[in-house]
Amino acid sequence: MTNENLVNGILEIRVDENSPLFDKTGMLHKEFPSDFRQIRYFTLLIVQSAPPDIKEINLLEQQISEIIKNAVKHGNKCDVEKKVRVWYSFSPEHAHLVVEDEGEGFRDLEKWNEFNRRRQSCLDSGDYEKLADFVSFRTIKSDDNDGGNALFAALEYWNGGFVFNQKRNCIAMLKRFPKRRLGVSVEGES
Amino acid sequence: MELKIRKSGENYIIDVNGEMDLYNSYRLKELVMKMLEKKVERFIINLENVDYIDSSGIGALIYICSTIKKMNLKLVITNIHGSVKKVIELTKLMGYFPITQTIEEALQRMEA
Repeated sequence: MTNENLVNGILEIRVDENSPLFDKTGMLHKEFPSDFRQIRYFTLLIVQSAPPDIKEINLLEQQISEIIKNAVKHGNKCDVEKKVRVWYSFSPEHAHLVVEDEGEGFRDLEKWNEFNRRRQSCLDSGDYEKLADFVSFRTIKSDDNDGGNALFAALEYWNGGFVFNQKRNCIAMLKRFPKRRLGVSVEGES
Repeated sequence: MELKIRKSGENYIIDVNGEMDLYNSYRLKELVMKMLEKKVERFIINLENVDYIDSSGIGALIYICSTIKKMNLKLVITNIHGSVKKVIELTKLMGYFPITQTIEEALQRMEA
């Protein structure tokens, strides 16, 4: 199955206002104030609607928490007057989310993609010494608690697409889980 | 998250218990920085009892790893499993971190 974010063999974060991933038909919806202390709680409220037999639910929770954290902290700057809106739908075969904040949008998206290309080049050549410069994406707004690595994992995890809207304050993502036959994951399907 | 330090020869083993998330990962970073101030030179971070890590936790491990590498001191991260391993794999840092499967292997690597 192809990943829409794969460009010339390298995963990229894309901007595509018209992506079908922004179609919210039939999705559940919640909105939260941008309270940093409650990010994991908000995430649990969403993940609790996922079927219990979904693959690696802890990992799904962690990946959703990262996206909500980005919206609360980097998008809305932890301003509790600003809302984060989440649309979501889950099945044993998929997790689909749309997360929107009220911020100015991810301005450094192109810089991030370029940083990721250089990081990938270090990984491809096995140059772990040089990789040290590309393990954490920093901007002038980053603080000591920003890992700077969440989107690297997100782009790998959300294998059905990971796209921003034109304003870059709303992101849609899809994870396809391996089909199960007689309760066993099928090799090679991830 | 609970952090406990024990000693094996010249090696300091930090047992991490609980979740390394956006609310507490900085504590591991602070602990290692304090130990560096006290001239500790050999660190083993044991993640046997960690079942959840996020980008802040990975960020703390990156910071610790790069600081210790720059100082030419020794670090091994051990007992990575479950979703913690999966997140590190997604971030493609399995080859960047000095990782062993067990504490015994970590102790052997320290002597190498």
